[in-house]
Amino acid sequence: MSTFIKDFIEKETINRRNFLLATATGLGAAAMPGVFGGGAALAAENPALAWSYRDRASAYWNAIVSGGEDFTVSLGKTAADMTSLINEGSSEKSLADIKAFLAKNSGNCAIACDANDSPNARPVAEACKEAGGYVTTIWNKTDDLHPWDIGDNYVAHLSWSGEKPSEEAARVLFKAMGGKGGVVHLGGIPANIPAIERLQGLKNALVDFPEIELLDVQSADWDTQKATELMASFITRYGDKITGVHCANDNIAYGVIEAFKAEGITGVPIVAFDGNPEAVQMVIDGALLATVFTNPRWGGGIALSLAYHAAIGTFKPSEEPNEHREFYGPSIVVTHDDAMDFKAKYMDSTPVYDWKDLWGQSAGGIVYK
Amino acid sequence: MTRHFSRKTLLKWAPLLVLLVLVVFFTAINPAFFSLRNFARIAITSSPALMVAIGVTFIIIMGSIDLSMEGAISFSAVVFAFMFKFLGGTLDSWGWLALPLIVLCGAVFGWVNGMIHVRLRIPSFMASLAMGFVGTGAAILLTGGNIVKVDDELFRGLLTVRYFGFPIMVYVAVFFLLVGAFVQSYTPLGRNFYAVGGGEDLAHASGVKVRRVRVMGFAIAGAYYAIAAILAVGKIGQAESVSGANFMFISITSVVVGGVALWGGTGGVWNALVGVLIVSVINNGMVVIGLPDFIQDGMLGLLVIIAVVLSTDRRSIQVVK
Repeated sequence: MSTFIKDFIEKETINRRNFLLATATGLGAAAMPGVFGGGAALAAENPALAWSYRDRASAYWNAIVSGGEDFTVSLGKTAADMTSLINEGSSEKSLADIKAFLAKNSGNCAIACDANDSPNARPVAEACKEAGGYVTTIWNKTDDLHPWDIGDNYVAHLSWSGEKPSEEAARVLFKAMGGKGGVVHLGGIPANIPAIERLQGLKNALVDFPEIELLDVQSADWDTQKATELMASFITRYGDKITGVHCANDNIAYGVIEAFKAEGITGVPIVAFDGNPEAVQMVIDGALLATVFTNPRWGGGIALSLAYHAAIGTFKPSEEPNEHREFYGPSIVVTHDDAMDFKAKYMDSTPVYDWKDLWGQSAGGIVYK
Repeated sequence: MTRHFSRKTLLKWAPLLVLLVLVVFFTAINPAFFSLRNFARIAITSSPALMVAIGVTFIIIMGSIDLSMEGAISFSAVVFAFMFKFLGGTLDSWGWLALPLIVLCGAVFGWVNGMIHVRLRIPSFMASLAMGFVGTGAAILLTGGNIVKVDDELFRGLLTVRYFGFPIMVYVAVFFLLVGAFVQSYTPLGRNFYAVGGGEDLAHASGVKVRRVRVMGFAIAGAYYAIAAILAVGKIGQAESVSGANFMFISITSVVVGGVALWGGTGGVWNALVGVLIVSVINNGMVVIGLPDFIQDGMLGLLVIIAVVLSTDRRSIQVVK
């Protein structure tokens, strides 16, 4: 045997021994906290904060993320201490980013997340459980997934019901129409749950107003330009029969207003949904009859606050009732009478929320049909 | 010979025939379709789309493709809105200056697009798509996701002031259609577009500066996208990072339906006009006759295929890619 080969084998043997020793040391070290501090994972100190969402390209998501930042600042940190995990509409990226964030902080995390699509909520929750992090989800989650089935690490799920507030807005509309006439609905993307719920709300209200006819329902894809064109076509088809318009969101209502403007038609009442600042101004000016505000800023802050307080041990999620772990956020119908007060309270100044009052604005537990 | 001649003539006029058949069809089902008010509505919808379609027609004649329109329009719309507000917020003041400036800005955007395509030798498909994303990204960055309102009554006159039943924006679109037709037929640049699209090697051998023609084509397209952005803002009174959404589909579909061949060298701005009208008439007509919306997308696709089959001459080409 040449010395070269002999040296090589000797070296490899030593290396293997070193490797085994190192492994044993590493495992021992990893087990240490388990031996000496069994409860460490339950009450983490100073967990890393993150919000996982699509992007900031709309007023709505801007408000959600700003709420998360408000909460972070309330802890005496800076807004930059909240990490933005931007998924760009990809569920895979959403999950990968959250896993990377958990790994980077050894699971000592409080995360708020919109999982991008419903099926993705489960792997996100399970990844957090495995790593020992705490997560609150909003909007997207399958009906069969519940925080209490996963455990304390899946703190809560927050959503907004479109049906009830949309029904309330429809009632305001029908009263303005004098209880009779024809209404058209311009909807969101047909398969979106909020679009379905908001249309259902309109239908619920119609039951109590037999003299109001639902002339047509078509999709405007949440889009202002498409809404303008759709409304113009509705005017050709129904003309004066349209005496009220029910829109699935504010952006659609902006398009409807412009379509009427082009025709020189005034005085047809329009209701919308979302409560964006522009829409609230239109309610004050009288261009819009009503819109529904869902307080995304509070939602964005409280989702992160829930995860944070569960992580530091302020409350133990499994000891909370189910309606504290799956609940609806608030919805306020803004009409001309209260629009000025509303604007002063929510738009002109940023309200200061008590982020420790975790369920103060809850509109009740989530109901499945 | 006579037969050949008649077939050629038929093909030339086929898109217009398709348009007429559609108008008759929708009128037969709902006579309300055939009214001046409804034609004005279709014209309003078509105006911004026509500007985009004319811009991309020049590129398609050259045998290239431009997919930057959505980003270019969003970017132009947002920059226009900010510039307009900065310069006084009304056409009465220096605000009018924003109009020519934004068309120039659009041309520069298109020029950069063309330079990336020609100088870096990136296929126009990829270069323009990437520039489109840059435009959308810049628009999001500038607005932070918010809406920029443009509510100057004078500027909104584009939509609200009417002559002979049609709002001013329709006349603006017709004016730039004529400008496009002039560039196409009466300038060396316009003829060079056809030369490049018909056979780039031949054009090069005949002394056409192909690279320069290409870059100029993209710059003109960019200017037209900016005009489209102004009309789009005039139409809904607001600019945002999604102002350009949906324009890619409607413009390219329109151009092809109107009879401009994607392989270059044939068609022109008049085809683009007829194409845009066909797509707008279909979209308007389907709602007017009361088609449920879940059928509309499928029906639009079907009608587009039929229109392409009828209006393009596919006999002369051997390979369809």
